[in-house]
Amino acid sequence: MKKTNTYLHNPGYLKIELMLKGVRVDGKVLKKAGFDKCRDVANIACGLDIILPHNTWVTAPYAQDFVNDSPYELIEKDGGFFITDGNKSVKVSIAPIPEFYRLKTTSGVQLSKIGLVHGGYVAITPATQCDFFNKDIECRYCAGNLDINKGKGTVYTVEDVLETVEAAYKEGKAEVVYLSIGFSETADGGVEFLKPYIRAIKKHFNTLVAVEALPPKENKWIDETYAIGADSVLYNLEIFDPKLFEEICPGRAALIGRKRYLDALKYAATVFPSGTVASHLIVGLEPIESTVEGIDFLAGMGVVPILPVYRPSPRAKLPHYKTPSTEVVAPVYGYLYRAVTANKINISWVRDISVVTTPLEGRFFIDDNARVKTFVQNFYKSRLGLKAAWSLATLRRKLRVKVSSRE
Amino acid sequence: MKLEIDRRPLWVILLIRSFRPAFFLAIGLLFFYLINLPTPDGLTIQGQRAIALFAVCLILWVTEALPLAITSLMAIVLVALLDVLDKRTTYALFGNEAVFFILGAFILSGAVMHSGLSNRIALAIMSRFGGTPRGLLASIFFLAAALSFFMSEHAVAAMLFPIVLEIARGLNLKPGKSNYAKSLFLALAWGCIIGGVATFLGGARVPLAVGMLKEATGITIGFFEYTSMVFPTVMILLFIGYFGLTRFFRQDIPDIHLAKAVFEGKLKELGKIGYVEYAVGILMGITIFFWIFLGKTIGIAGIAIISVVALFILKLVRWKDIEEYVNWGVILMYGGAITLGASMEKSGAAAWMANAVIGDWANNPLLVIAILSLLTILLTEGMSNAAVIAVLLPVGIGMAGKFHIDTKTIAYAIAVPAGLAFCFPMSTPANAIAVSSGYITTRDMAKAGIAMMVLAWLVFNLTARFYWPMIGIRL
Ligand code: SF4
Repeated sequence: MKKTNTYLHNPGYLKIELMLKGVRVDGKVLKKAGFDKCRDVANIACGLDIILPHNTWVTAPYAQDFVNDSPYELIEKDGGFFITDGNKSVKVSIAPIPEFYRLKTTSGVQLSKIGLVHGGYVAITPATQCDFFNKDIECRYCAGNLDINKGKGTVYTVEDVLETVEAAYKEGKAEVVYLSIGFSETADGGVEFLKPYIRAIKKHFNTLVAVEALPPKENKWIDETYAIGADSVLYNLEIFDPKLFEEICPGRAALIGRKRYLDALKYAATVFPSGTVASHLIVGLEPIESTVEGIDFLAGMGVVPILPVYRPSPRAKLPHYKTPSTEVVAPVYGYLYRAVTANKINISWVRDISVVTTPLEGRFFIDDNARVKTFVQNFYKSRLGLKAAWSLATLRRKLRVKVSSRE
Repeated sequence: MKLEIDRRPLWVILLIRSFRPAFFLAIGLLFFYLINLPTPDGLTIQGQRAIALFAVCLILWVTEALPLAITSLMAIVLVALLDVLDKRTTYALFGNEAVFFILGAFILSGAVMHSGLSNRIALAIMSRFGGTPRGLLASIFFLAAALSFFMSEHAVAAMLFPIVLEIARGLNLKPGKSNYAKSLFLALAWGCIIGGVATFLGGARVPLAVGMLKEATGITIGFFEYTSMVFPTVMILLFIGYFGLTRFFRQDIPDIHLAKAVFEGKLKELGKIGYVEYAVGILMGITIFFWIFLGKTIGIAGIAIISVVALFILKLVRWKDIEEYVNWGVILMYGGAITLGASMEKSGAAAWMANAVIGDWANNPLLVIAILSLLTILLTEGMSNAAVIAVLLPVGIGMAGKFHIDTKTIAYAIAVPAGLAFCFPMSTPANAIAVSSGYITTRDMAKAGIAMMVLAWLVFNLTARFYWPMIGIRL
């Protein structure tokens, strides 16, 4: 292991470091943390959910080979967990593996196959299928979790999904239910498919629902998405540069188009509450200037840019792309924080995400302690705050959605 | 179902939404205030409560903040709860003859439509007389009027609408542009409106007025008696209407041979006339005969319901077929309006109000009729014609007592103009149906309608002045 600069003092930097480089962990410590060795290292769930100072969540890879080069190690001392770089250490806590992962639905499906907890939300993909793969136009960076070639993927029933949400909800792991769907060749972008799931979740639980989908062809489907109960929507553009977008996301470019992405996001930002419409821009797949331009553009429309960092996966088809360094990435998050603040976008919605740095976490890279914003976000994480957020979202929907019988 | 997202600022939406609760709160406060005012001289406490209730219903009927039927139901319950009338009398008022007549008329007219008879008659007449542009216009206009003598004018408009629409399409008339198309759809609407006031059958508002009159004063108006009073008005208006249609909209089509194909195609679709159509036609004829000649003795409601029973004995219709034609909302509305009207009269509130509101200046019967009919014809453009009757008739009855005018004439002065709504699509369903075609705009309708409204008011008053005395009506 070679010695490098470490960032134990700053949770923002440390989060990026841990996401990119992972954390070494001894088998015994792993056991104490309640984890096993990951069987499928390509799986996004194959990470330790660590809570850094300032309640900063991170999913750190620990089972992959590249982790052996990480300067960070998870150790256990006097019953507590610490991240150390060999010299200094910082106290952290480990989010235990959700109990419900061990359970099965009535129909016999392992709940962990349906729902995965990442920080404060449970992510569910009711249909494990993306039709881009059937046309060989899948996104080039895609880890291929939804690659069900030439066939239908698994479709979990509404009952299966409900049982999963219920189990997660009981454990307090479903502040937000994050539903995602891959590409399917329908005009509605998958809304019709997700409708019964969203409706059922909303009917049974006082939880917020975020939907990650592909932009529908017409805006009326965005209205529908909001009306049926989605509280947040993500249409992930991924690459802002038009040319690179076409190269890296051929399916999105050919069958949806960059313009439609931007139009749909712009429209959605007028339908959904401030800070609940978001779009991913992957840092590391285009020049930083282009990402920065994208941040400005999206934030200008009232959309929250979410910036995952590119980490090559074995199934990605981008051999020449490498993970960017923390030093390159960190200023972009600082810029992100400034951009969303300048555009007065509410940033308490995008929180507690352990696989990506949130806009509010961007404060760690600039000289701003963002007391009020942090206070507001912490309030929304409290029991009372969650209730308030849910009630306000419901009231807002009641006021905004009008249904008339005429066609 | 259409879904819309209101994207205005939330405070704007909240402000708009809070209007409704604020509105109902204001109504509640007004009611409370009126009830708790010191009772004026000459008014009983029951009368004061009836007026407070009437004021609330008036606002609700005019604004339609609640469905008309629900306001009426509320009125019935409150009349009893406030002790304006005792419970027994209140609820018994709902079961009055007019309500059963309306119910019977809905079912009979439903049977005629369901059998296809009305459609066949319409097509046959149009095909027989509609050889020229003018002939076709006249046949639509007069046919709509004639059918509305026997069936609800709304049903006639709905029945003839698809035929007129197909004619307009068959003739390749341009929506919004073709003068001829405008005149065709206006002919449909005006025919229904004018024809609808001719008898008890054109709309449920006349039976409503007659029912209210009977419950409040015990005075009855017979089927034939009513028609003989208003027939000249109807005839003159039909003449003026036809003249107006041909003058207002200059004919811009040389011939209409293409329409012939529409009639032939439709008639072919109907096939030959069947047993049900014959039987329903005969039964309807007998019913009308009885209404005219025995209406006073047997009662028009009794005749209507016996005919309905006969329909089912002869298996001419099934209840399932008829249900959609029975507008229960209207029936509830009428029951409530009659009850409230009677409570106003019986508690002395109507007479007191006429005294207080009108004072002594309207001491000439013709002036009273002119004012009431003007008020009615103006109000009916903006609100439901039944609501206009429910609101104005109790006051009118009070005025009749005060100025010693024949109460029946007051009922006519309100019941007839209440049906003459020519100006806007929201005034009456016949207008709305015509505008929904896209061939005539609201503007076109309003322009011609305002002229027609003024003429209708004049004609009605002139008939009252010169014709009514001739048939022995004392003004
Ligand atoms: S949309 Fe792109 S990233 Fe998402 S599953 Fe399909 S191919 Fe993969």
